[in-house]
Amino acid sequence: MTPSSGSTHRVEACYAAALLLYPPPFREAHAQAMRQAFRDALRDHSLPRRTLFLLVLRDLFTSITKEHLAMLRDTFSRPALLFNALVLSALATGLALALNTIPQQVLRLGANDPQIAMAGDLVARLEQGAAPAEAVPTGSLDMARSLSPFVIVYDDQGHPLASQAALAGQTPAPPAGVFDYVRQHGEERLSWQPVLGSAHGVRIAAVIQRVGGPHPGFVLAGRNMREVESREALVGQLAGMTWIGMMAVILVGTAVFGWYTRPSTQPTRPAAA
Amino acid sequence: MATGTVPAAPLSPAVFAILLSLAEEEKHGYQMMKDALTPEGGGVRLGPGTLYGSLERMMRDNLVEESGLSDDERRRYYRLTNLGHRILATELERLDAAVASARSLGLIPNGGRA
Repeated sequence: MTPSSGSTHRVEACYAAALLLYPPPFREAHAQAMRQAFRDALRDHSLPRRTLFLLVLRDLFTSITKEHLAMLRDTFSRPALLFNALVLSALATGLALALNTIPQQVLRLGANDPQIAMAGDLVARLEQGAAPAEAVPTGSLDMARSLSPFVIVYDDQGHPLASQAALAGQTPAPPAGVFDYVRQHGEERLSWQPVLGSAHGVRIAAVIQRVGGPHPGFVLAGRNMREVESREALVGQLAGMTWIGMMAVILVGTAVFGWYTRPSTQPTRPAAA
Repeated sequence: MATGTVPAAPLSPAVFAILLSLAEEEKHGYQMMKDALTPEGGGVRLGPGTLYGSLERMMRDNLVEESGLSDDERRRYYRLTNLGHRILATELERLDAAVASARSLGLIPNGGRA
């Protein structure tokens, strides 16, 4: 073996190693022919070696990148694969939204439970002639801190008559529109955010019922929603994590399925002439 | 049978050079690379990767096919299909019209090479 042929073999071996960087289907289809073309170019000497090496290096860089991108496109841009992934993603998103919304609604509706009974009982006592100050339990809860349910009695104009709770030292009242609604419909259930001076951000699960009889008015039974909102936030986080998990499974599943069902790039060889 | 999309004019330099090289006769990879390198062949520096990547897509588009002739398993020969001939003719007409237009504008000296 001459020194020159030895170096040619080494260069060919380097080129053969570089061919490993091509995607396997492309490599299986063309590596032998590419090696032969490179071998022909080495032996032909019509291009100076330096020029040939620069050409081949640039060709390796651009064509390896291009073939990998083409393989990814051929593998993952098939309409059926994308459609399946899209449908599964839509289902996962719908499921995650349901997982977020339904428990939150259940939690919120459950937050009214003791207030409904408390308001109903107090309305019955007031309609039987009990004085508001006597009917309302004694004590003054801080709406901002206490999680215990409380009741407030208002007159027909919406002014407080007796209260079991206070916010910033005062008894808050819902907007006049809420009382108008209760006058017409008998009851309202709402998330109430009373604003008194600097007291902001306290949300109350409130049930307001109409008091009939000779001294008409309103009863409000409420409870700080802090704990319920904390659970709602936890439900939201769990639903979000579930959604991310499902999307990851869909992504990986689509990638694996796409890979194993990718179209072959092996060219069809004609029958020998 | 073609499964890809037939390339629309203008063709890429590599595809044009390969079509032009195979217009004369069926050839193997290195012959096409040499043809492409000449000014008459398009003056395109085709490496083996670009050449065989282009050939694969051109076979998918039914522009070229393997002729079945081979010196051995490593050296494959390719030839133009009828569609490949038509696409090359269309591209040459387009280029010819562009050259004629450039010549009429005095951008190319009369009698000079395009």
